[in-house]
Amino acid sequence: MPKLRWPKATLALPAWVWLLAFFAAPVGLIIWYSFGYKPGIFGTHSNDILSLDRYAEALSPTFFATFSNTLWVGIVGTLICLVIGMPVAYWMAVKVPVSRRGLLLAAIMIPFWTNFLVRTIGWQIILSPQGWLSQGLEAIGVIDGPLEILYTRTAVLIGVVYNYLPLMILPLFVAFDRVGEPLREASKDLGAGRLHTFLRVTIPLARPGIIAGLLLVYIPLMGDYITATVLGGAKGNMAGQLVASQFQNAQNWALGAAMAVVLILTILISAAVLGLIIWLATLPFRSHYRLRLGSGS
Amino acid sequence: MTETKRIALERSAARRSDASDSPATAVKPRRSVSDRLFAIWGIIVLLFLFAPIIVILVYSFNTGRLLISFDGFGIEPFLTILNKPAIQSAVWVSIRAGVFSALFATAIGTFAGVAMARRPGKWVGWFLVLLVLVTVTPEIVDAVSLLPWVVFLGQDLGLTIFNDGIFRLVVGNSLFSIAVVSYIVRARLVGISASLEEASADLYAPPLRTFWRITLPLAMPAVLAGGLLSFTLSLDNTIIASFVSVSGTTPWPVYVLSAVRSGLRPEIASVSTLMLIVTLLSLAVVAWVLKRSGDSATQIARTMAGG
Repeated sequence: MPKLRWPKATLALPAWVWLLAFFAAPVGLIIWYSFGYKPGIFGTHSNDILSLDRYAEALSPTFFATFSNTLWVGIVGTLICLVIGMPVAYWMAVKVPVSRRGLLLAAIMIPFWTNFLVRTIGWQIILSPQGWLSQGLEAIGVIDGPLEILYTRTAVLIGVVYNYLPLMILPLFVAFDRVGEPLREASKDLGAGRLHTFLRVTIPLARPGIIAGLLLVYIPLMGDYITATVLGGAKGNMAGQLVASQFQNAQNWALGAAMAVVLILTILISAAVLGLIIWLATLPFRSHYRLRLGSGS
Repeated sequence: MTETKRIALERSAARRSDASDSPATAVKPRRSVSDRLFAIWGIIVLLFLFAPIIVILVYSFNTGRLLISFDGFGIEPFLTILNKPAIQSAVWVSIRAGVFSALFATAIGTFAGVAMARRPGKWVGWFLVLLVLVTVTPEIVDAVSLLPWVVFLGQDLGLTIFNDGIFRLVVGNSLFSIAVVSYIVRARLVGISASLEEASADLYAPPLRTFWRITLPLAMPAVLAGGLLSFTLSLDNTIIASFVSVSGTTPWPVYVLSAVRSGLRPEIASVSTLMLIVTLLSLAVVAWVLKRSGDSATQIARTMAGG
């Protein structure tokens, strides 16, 4: 009897079909809409005449400011997450006894599994001018009047750093954990100092995790619109809010679609440029001998 | 590799505890200052992560009229939930949509993950491109794309199932979840040799039985982790849900989002507190199941982080 085998990839067929039908097709439709126009007060879109005018409109000064603001929040927020998260991940993977690691990981993940919107509302309460933080800071004399952070870009920045920090810590933790004690000990036995070991052994080996963390934070952060809506008010506009308002309020689907495409392109291009910059900046730290972790052995 | 590493880690942990226990070797470790700085920083960050949750927990006992100004301490907001059918229905819609999305995404994603791990080929590259695209597309773009699409399918093509609120939510929730489950299941199975499945096939088990009896149990920790992640992702899904949801089947986050605009009341914090407790309990159950199947805490985290 011949061995029965499933034909190649049949099992992936449902996923293929579903994702093409409810991801590729609708996004394709939106890209198509972005070349059209809004035909009148009551129409949402029309593709009778195709043009790139909506893209010009989306990048006009009014909206361009929002896109550059989004980029600023995205880059600064991701870097702050890295700076805050790296020592925490290193601490958890290297310094904390193995027995306590599970508890700490759970602690890092709990906020991540609380409703995103509700966590952000928590920050709205903390940062509000009548809140405890404001009163406390005023009482000890750090600030003169009530705290005036809510509904500014700073509040949005605090919110996004908070919301995406676990997504930075987890991959970094996994990466640092993978490097393992023996390699670090070996490096020290061979005479490298602690900083040297960190820069030449730990960081290069943890690089995939660092890159994963940066992407996991940067990409959703750039598309975020909840945090900006709850904490940003009018001043902290993000591109996601622009896209949403074209669909929900202005009913100009063509312009909203063009903005959505611009948002995706901004994310992809800026991620590529940032990757290049990081690659160039870390060249001096790269050792001549490539370190590689055996995988799966 | 993991086994030797675990032994090495345990040995180093044992060494550390030896040093602190026996007074004979009570020489202070050289790194104690930096160790302490790391610990302090870690605890500060944990406090930062917990701050708004603690605030929500405290404010869920706020007897005032508005959530943001704390009036007094009492359980009234929890009692108010009983008189608010809109809140109850929103939570119930979320739970139903979450369960259906999780079951659906876990099934489809598990199949795709198994296929990627066990039937590698050129198609895997293409499929991964699709999954990566799904993952990197901002939710707001999915949301604005799905809205015209489901309206088109439901009203222009007359496929009435697309007018059903829960079904629309499941469609919206499923995209990202399928990608996540596929990654996790693939990562798990790639790390396990296919020899057991081959043995089963050599012993004349039909493919379906091999799948049920061998492949699926091997992938189970990843399937559970993926299912749990899909459920929580679906409960959390605000952006897509606020676009595709039909009036009458408003899920909980969309209800809260509209309350952000019209005025937040303390009941919202109370419901969140209750939901947090339920989530923590279900997390604990899953962690317990994973632990019983022999994974260490680090491996659980690794499984959940997708590799």
